[in-house]
Amino acid sequence: MAKDTSEAANPDRPSSPLPRRGLERLDLMLLCMEALDLNGGEAMVWMSEQLGYGGLFPNRVELWKRRCHNPLRRTCRRGEVPVDETDALIRILCVMADRLYPMLRSLLSSSEPEAVASERWALFQGRLLELVQERMNPRRSGVQKLLDPTDGAAQRLQLVQGLSLCAGHGGFERIKASLMDAVA
Amino acid sequence: MVQSSVMKQSLVFDQLSCRLQVEGLPDVSIGQSGAALGIITGWSLQWVGRPLLEGRREHLQALMQVVLPYARHLISGVRRDFSIAGEPVDIGPHPEGGHRLLLRSSQPDTPPLEMHLDDAELADLVRVLDLLRLDPRIQLPLDLPEPEPLGPRELLERIPLHRRLTAPLGGAAALAVSAALVLLLPPPAVPPTPQAPAPQAAPEAPRP
Repeated sequence: MAKDTSEAANPDRPSSPLPRRGLERLDLMLLCMEALDLNGGEAMVWMSEQLGYGGLFPNRVELWKRRCHNPLRRTCRRGEVPVDETDALIRILCVMADRLYPMLRSLLSSSEPEAVASERWALFQGRLLELVQERMNPRRSGVQKLLDPTDGAAQRLQLVQGLSLCAGHGGFERIKASLMDAVA
Repeated sequence: MVQSSVMKQSLVFDQLSCRLQVEGLPDVSIGQSGAALGIITGWSLQWVGRPLLEGRREHLQALMQVVLPYARHLISGVRRDFSIAGEPVDIGPHPEGGHRLLLRSSQPDTPPLEMHLDDAELADLVRVLDLLRLDPRIQLPLDLPEPEPLGPRELLERIPLHRRLTAPLGGAAALAVSAALVLLLPPPAVPPTPQAPAPQAAPEAPRP
C-alpha cells in the first residue's frame, strides 16, 4: 500500500481548477491510452468504478462530458471542471498508464530492434491519428499540428514520455503540476 | 519484497532495467520496530549491463533530488540540466538524445561516472524512486521538493533560443529597414511662399 499523495495528504496546497490548456493535454493523454488499448474507453469506465469514482462518473456519458471540456474537441463544452473531477480523471490516467506501462516502455526503449520499434510506433500513431480525426476539430491549429506527420511526431513522443513518467501513484503530483503550468 | 536479518531490513524495488536495494534499520530511539526503516545504512542500484552503483543515504537523497524534478520538467517538455551545488549527482539531456546521468564519487582519484540513459531507462529509474519514496515502511523524512506548476519563463526554455529570437529580431530588422527607406526619400519640395505685398501708403485724408 503506497502512501497517499493526494490533496488530502497536502492540505496546505491550494487547489484550483485546471486551465483550458491543462484540460486539453489531459484529454490528449487519455486519448493516447485509448490508442494503446483497444478497449481503453471501457477500461476507463471500469477503472473509474474500481477507484471509487462511480459517484462522479456514474456512466460513460458523464466521463465523456468531462473530457469534452478539451477546447480541441469537435463538440467542446465551456466552463470549468471541478477540482475533484479533474483529480479523478488524473488518477484514472495514472492507474491506466501504470497498467499499460510495459507498452509505453517498449515504445520508448532504444534497445528494441529498429524494425520492431518503428512498427510499434506506426501502429500507435495510426490509432491515435484515427481517434484525433474522429473526435477533434480539424480546423484548430493544435489538431492540425498533431496530425502533421513531421511536426506532430515530437508532440506524440512527448505525450508518450509524459505518460511513462506519470504512471503509478507517484506520478499523480507530477502530472497534476504539469497540467497546471502557466501558458507560455 | 523484504529480506530481513534480526533488525536489519532490506527493501528491493524492481523494474525491467534496474533494481534498487535499500538496507537499513528501524530507529528504535523513536519507537520504530518491525518492518519500519528509519535509518538507511546503504543502497545499491543495479542496471542491466552497467556498473553497480552504491552509496549512503545522502547519495540516494541527492539522486532523488535531481531525478524527480528532472522528470517533472520533462512532462512539461522542458529539457534542462539539474544539479545541486556540492552534491554528487547531475542529470540533463544528452546531446545525442536520451539523458545523461553524472555521478561523482566521494573517493579520491575516482573519475566521475557518466551514464547514457534512454527514455525507457529513465522512466524505470523514476518508478523505482517513486516506489521507494511512497513505501510506507520508509519512516524517515527524505526532504524532496514538491512538484510545482512551471511559470511562463521556465516554459519558454522548451523553445530553442534561435526560434525565440527569430520573431523579435525579424521585427526589429523590418523596422530598421523601413526607417532607412523612409530616410532615403527626398523631402517634399517646399512651395515658394508668395511675396507679401508692400504695404500701400495710407490714402491721404482729405484736407478740409
